[in-house]
Amino acid sequence: MEPDGAPTSSVGQTCDVGKLIKQGAEARVYSTTFMGRPTIVKERFKKKYRHPTLDKKLTHRRTTREVTAILRCRKSGICTPTVYFVDYESHRIYMENIENSTTVRDYIASEQKETQETNPETLVSLAQKIGTLLATMHDNDVIHGDLTTSNMLLRQPVDSSSPVVLIDFGLSSVSGLHEDKGVDLYVLERAFLSTHPNTENIFEHILVTYRKKSKKSSDVLKKLDEVRMRGRKRSMIG
Amino acid sequence: MASQSYELELFPNCKVTLALFDGVENCQDLKRCIMEGKVDAALLNVSMIIEPFQVLVSANKAFHVQQHGKMKTRNINSEILFNLSPTNNISESFKRFGVSNEDKSLLAVVLNDSNGEKLQRLTEQVEGTRIDMNQLKDFTDEAKIKKVYKIQDTELTNSTLLDAVICRMATKDAS
Repeated sequence: MEPDGAPTSSVGQTCDVGKLIKQGAEARVYSTTFMGRPTIVKERFKKKYRHPTLDKKLTHRRTTREVTAILRCRKSGICTPTVYFVDYESHRIYMENIENSTTVRDYIASEQKETQETNPETLVSLAQKIGTLLATMHDNDVIHGDLTTSNMLLRQPVDSSSPVVLIDFGLSSVSGLHEDKGVDLYVLERAFLSTHPNTENIFEHILVTYRKKSKKSSDVLKKLDEVRMRGRKRSMIG
Repeated sequence: MASQSYELELFPNCKVTLALFDGVENCQDLKRCIMEGKVDAALLNVSMIIEPFQVLVSANKAFHVQQHGKMKTRNINSEILFNLSPTNNISESFKRFGVSNEDKSLLAVVLNDSNGEKLQRLTEQVEGTRIDMNQLKDFTDEAKIKKVYKIQDTELTNSTLLDAVICRMATKDAS
């Protein structure tokens, strides 16, 4: 038995929900089919250390926030998985499994390795796609909350027209605040630069495109500068 | 195929049968019969349906809420109509997704019809011809679907119409 009362299973095992493919701090992700379609089931489990009423409310809120963000992004033209069914009793989200895809994280690594360049043309064009996507998302007041290159997918075969698919809206929210958008970008910057060496230029392209495509970008980017000033080992003067 | 049956992975003992009728002369009567509880099926406006998957997603949710005693409408058949709608207005969902008096075609959804009796009974009630399910797409009215589900072309640059519809159906009660 897991601490939350769920049947014990380890990654790779199949239970009645499906095959467990990931276990996070908040949710388990299973792979299954739904009406024959390859599907991901994201199940938020109970946190026994919380008061049950509070836990139920919070989990429900997180689930609704996640699906609301997905729909909101879709409406503005951003590629996201299709949500098929939300089970509010067991806090499971059944959504499209984007098969035959690579994460942007793996793609960047493989492009740099293959071309032996730090700024291949393919990555510049990818950066533009990401910048445009983030601009659209923020202009619609959606904060992703966990922007990393592992949460962006590219369907194979990857070419100049492949859109970036944004996934994992588990920490998302709706906000018009420049601060929140700035922090959203900062999270991506930290994740990007720490995961992918020598990509400062590529990330800069993302921001340049963001500035061009977003209507409120200058305020947000100003906030990004401020947020960069905060944090560990940083002087709060000036 | 004259009718198609599906099993839902999440509800293995539940069967969903779809049948398409054309040349229907008595939609007005059928509507009255539904109100009087004499029809054990959901009769859908075919023009609002893109593919059987859309109906199955609705049926899946209907079984789920029925199991948990959380149906919003009177019975599971009306719940299927309600789940197709992008809004939470029940009467609007019946109006938009159910058959109208002047309709000449309809898509019937029969649940748990293990021996085909329910569909047989329904076929007797419908004054029309059962046609092949493959002809469903001939009735689909994409422009009307976009209007009712409020789908803009921006969304369709990177998504199919079906996915846009399914996502709205699935997320409509997130609040």
